[in-house]
Parts: sequence; C-alpha cells; structure tokens
Amino acid sequence: MPSALFTAATGMQVQQQNVDNIAHNLANASTVGFKRTRLEFQDILYQNIRTPGAASNASTPLPVGLQIGLGARAMASQRIFMQGEFQRTDNPLDLVIEGAGFFQVRQTNGEIAYTRAGSFHLNAQGQVVTATGEALEPAISIPREATSIGIGTDGTVSVSLPGQVNAQNVGQIQLANFVNPAGLEAIGRNLFKETGASGQPTAGAPDAQGLGRINQGFVEGSNVNVVEELVQMIAAQRVYETNSKVITTADRMLGTINQAVG
Amino acid sequence: MLCQPDDKMNYGLYTAYLGMRARLRTLEVIANNVANASTTGYKADALHYRSVEATEIETARRTAADTAQLDGTPASTSDAALRSLRALGVTTGGLFDFSNGAVRQTSRTLDVALQGDGFLVVQTPRGERYTRDGALTLDANGQLVTARGDLVVGEAGPITIRPGEVAISEDGRITVGNQEQGRLKVVRFQTPNADLLKESDSLFAANTGAQPQAAPQTRIQQGMLEASNVNPVGEMALMLQNNREFESLQRSITQLMSMHKIATEIGKI
Repeated sequence: MPSALFTAATGMQVQQQNVDNIAHNLANASTVGFKRTRLEFQDILYQNIRTPGAASNASTPLPVGLQIGLGARAMASQRIFMQGEFQRTDNPLDLVIEGAGFFQVRQTNGEIAYTRAGSFHLNAQGQVVTATGEALEPAISIPREATSIGIGTDGTVSVSLPGQVNAQNVGQIQLANFVNPAGLEAIGRNLFKETGASGQPTAGAPDAQGLGRINQGFVEGSNVNVVEELVQMIAAQRVYETNSKVITTADRMLGTINQAVG
Repeated sequence: MLCQPDDKMNYGLYTAYLGMRARLRTLEVIANNVANASTTGYKADALHYRSVEATEIETARRTAADTAQLDGTPASTSDAALRSLRALGVTTGGLFDFSNGAVRQTSRTLDVALQGDGFLVVQTPRGERYTRDGALTLDANGQLVTARGDLVVGEAGPITIRPGEVAISEDGRITVGNQEQGRLKVVRFQTPNADLLKESDSLFAANTGAQPQAAPQTRIQQGMLEASNVNPVGEMALMLQNNREFESLQRSITQLMSMHKIATEIGKI
C-alpha cells in the first residue's frame, strides 16, 4: 500500500487545524486584549530507502539518497504578543498597557491569572474587578463617594472625594512580566496562566524595569488582522483541496494495479 | 519471481513493474510535498529516475546462474539475448529542491528568514542539526529555542536574551537596547543534496563526512518567515502526468500478458 494516501491525510488534517485556529482568531477579532495564535507546521518522519554515498554497485556510489517523507503535523501554536490597536473609550477604568506586561487578577479559586484586557469595573464592594469578576491584584478599592478616578502612567490610583481639595491616593496597580510570554497558557476569559515554559512572573510598578506605561481611558483591541486571517484561510482551503486530489489519485493508481492483476 | 527475469517475456513484465514502482514512489513524494505546503522552511523533494542497466541485472543473474550450475542445472539459454539489451527499466533517487521559498512578513521579532543557502544550527539530544525554519521562541530561562524546544546554537553557544525589544541584524547579531546578546550561527553545505539527510520536525542532519562551513553570504531577515518552497500547481501537473504514465505501464503489462497467452496457445495442438 503506498504511503501517499496516509501522507495526504496528514496534510488535510494539518489544514483542518489551521482553519480551526483561523476561526478562533477571527471569532476574537473584537475581543479586548486578545492575542492571536499561529500554528507552526513541521514535517514528520522520513523513510530512508537509500542513504547518499551507499554503493549502487561496486564502482558507482550513489550521489544522492532516497528519502520518502510521511507528511506534516502542527507542532506548536505560537501566540503573537504584538500590541493591539488602542481604542479610546474615556471610561476611567479602561486601561491599556503601552509596552510589555500583564495586569494581575485573582481568580475565584484564589490563583493569580494574567491579562492584557484592561477593561475594569467596580463590584458591589467598590473593588476594581474584570468584566468576569476577578479582582485586580493587589486589590484596589474605590470609595463609594468618589467623584472621579485618576490613574497615572505608573499605575498610581487616586480619587477625588467631595469636600477635599487634594486627590487621595488609594493604591498602585502592579504589572507582571515573563521571560517568555508566548509560553503562557490561555485559560479563556482573556486570562493567561503561568506555566513551566513561561518562567516565573516578575512583578513591579508600571513604567519601570522594562514594564509598560498605563494609559487611562483606552482599551487595547484584539491584534487579529482580519485581512491576513482571510488570506491564510483561502490558502489553507486550497492546500486542503490539493491534498484531497492526492488521495483521489492514489486511489486511482491502486485501482489501476487491481486492473493489471484482474 | 519478478526480480529474476528468465525469458524475454518476463523481462518486459519486470521493466513495466519497475516503472510502476517508480511512479508509486513519485506519488508518495508528491503527497509529502503537498502535505508540507504550509510548513515553514520546508524544502520540496523530487525523484529523479535512473535507468537500470541490463549489465547490473546481469551481474546479479550471473551469480544466480553460477549457483544453479553447481546444482547441476543448466543456466538459462537466453543470456546472449539479454546481454544485447542495454537498459531495463528505471530506479529512483531523491533530490531536495534547495531554492528559497517565498518570504512573508510576520512582524514578530523572533521570526527570522534566511536569504541565501545557509542554515540555522540547533542543538538536539542527537547532536547538532540544521534548519531553515526560523520561527524561534524563548524558553522559561530566556534562551532562544525552536518551536520544538531545541536550543538555537550561537557563535558562542546557546543564546540567552534578556527581556526587551529584540533586534536581529542581517549578519545574525541579536541586540536588546544596543546590548549584544549573541550571534546566530549560520552554516552552509557544499553539496546539500549529498551532505544532508532530512529528519522530522523540519531538521536536516549532516551525512557522514559532511562538514558545515561558515555562510557569510546568507542574510538574516527579522520579522519574516520563509514559506515552504512547494509549488502546488507544479505538483498537481506532475501528479497527473505520473498517473497517466502509470496507466500506460499497466496497459503494457496487460498487453504482454495477452501475448504470453497467445504464445502458450501456439504450442497446443
């Protein structure tokens, strides 16, 4: 049985995964703080039928060998941490990180997660939380009577209170960064989790030690480029078709063999 | 046995069989190329056909005949006729097409494309391997690795990159904020087709005796990746042609078999 049938099947599977990934990116083209992923494809396993240099007969060593490959596979999904576009919202709790770093939030199970989606809200207790309710870490509470909230580029949060001339400092936002952000695990809800591949987080004040600055009144849009994804999708579809043609041809050739015997 | 032709008739059958076998191999190669049409840095394979000289077969047969004579059985009488035939079919060898694939922009700082005939060097548990897949990343220690996690070898061993905006120059120098972090090692091979063996995961291994050389002519382009150099249209055209040749060979087998049948029937009263 020629391996072509199975080889072409791996090609189709790879393009199927490619389209799955493109679909996920496109679905998140409007998700605040979303970072697109790219699949990395690699070839698999070669059968060494003849090694170059082996003798074909006593006098002529083969100048080249014969290796037959057995297809392709998706090796990794590479998350691309390029900055998304900033969108002005004028909402005082919409924050973007201009540069490297992640907001730290505490999930309901107590674990810390990391996010670039700086679209925050207040909960019933006046705490700054994400849209899904995870509290910013270290926790920051805004007094109920505050008339305005100001957040500086270094993350300092200050509020104006009625009857007071000076703004009152209520805390400072800390950012965390990783040696290899691409190694973070996406856990949904715009959140990432530390892994063995990402390295330990190093937390610190914004606008220092390589961490980005905070800008108030903006959100970071998704970094998905819709046109690029569509072009990739067209390419994936065509390669998928080509692979299916190989399967048809392999089937036809097997049919021809059966005729020869019959 | 097909590989022991002992009369002219089987000789033709054997030739057709070799031809069909070669075309099945070609299809396998096309299938692998097409499956890797999206593999970064992939180099297309091609089969080249070599004719099998009758003398090559003859040497093998002579040995068999000698053994037969020792057993007391006479050698085949059609040897002279066989010797007059020059070529008897086809065998195959593999070649990689080392032309550069299209370079596409990704804007990711750790993506590099190699312009020229160089290879990046990576450290695997089996020893140094070579690749043109420049989709690099960092591991938890900040060391430069491939998507598979193999360390990328620099001019002075593994390259550790500190956090910050990474710049990679055309000669492979990696800098973060004007501070050099290391330099990518780029090598080339004199005759890549004889010196390199393909391995899985877009890696090449050096064949016994092959020596990598420095590749100062190869330029590194940051924020780019080299696409697979497979040409799907060319592969499809080749596949059609291959299929037609296969069918023709099958027809020649059918023809030979009906001739064989007629020849057998002549002897009948």
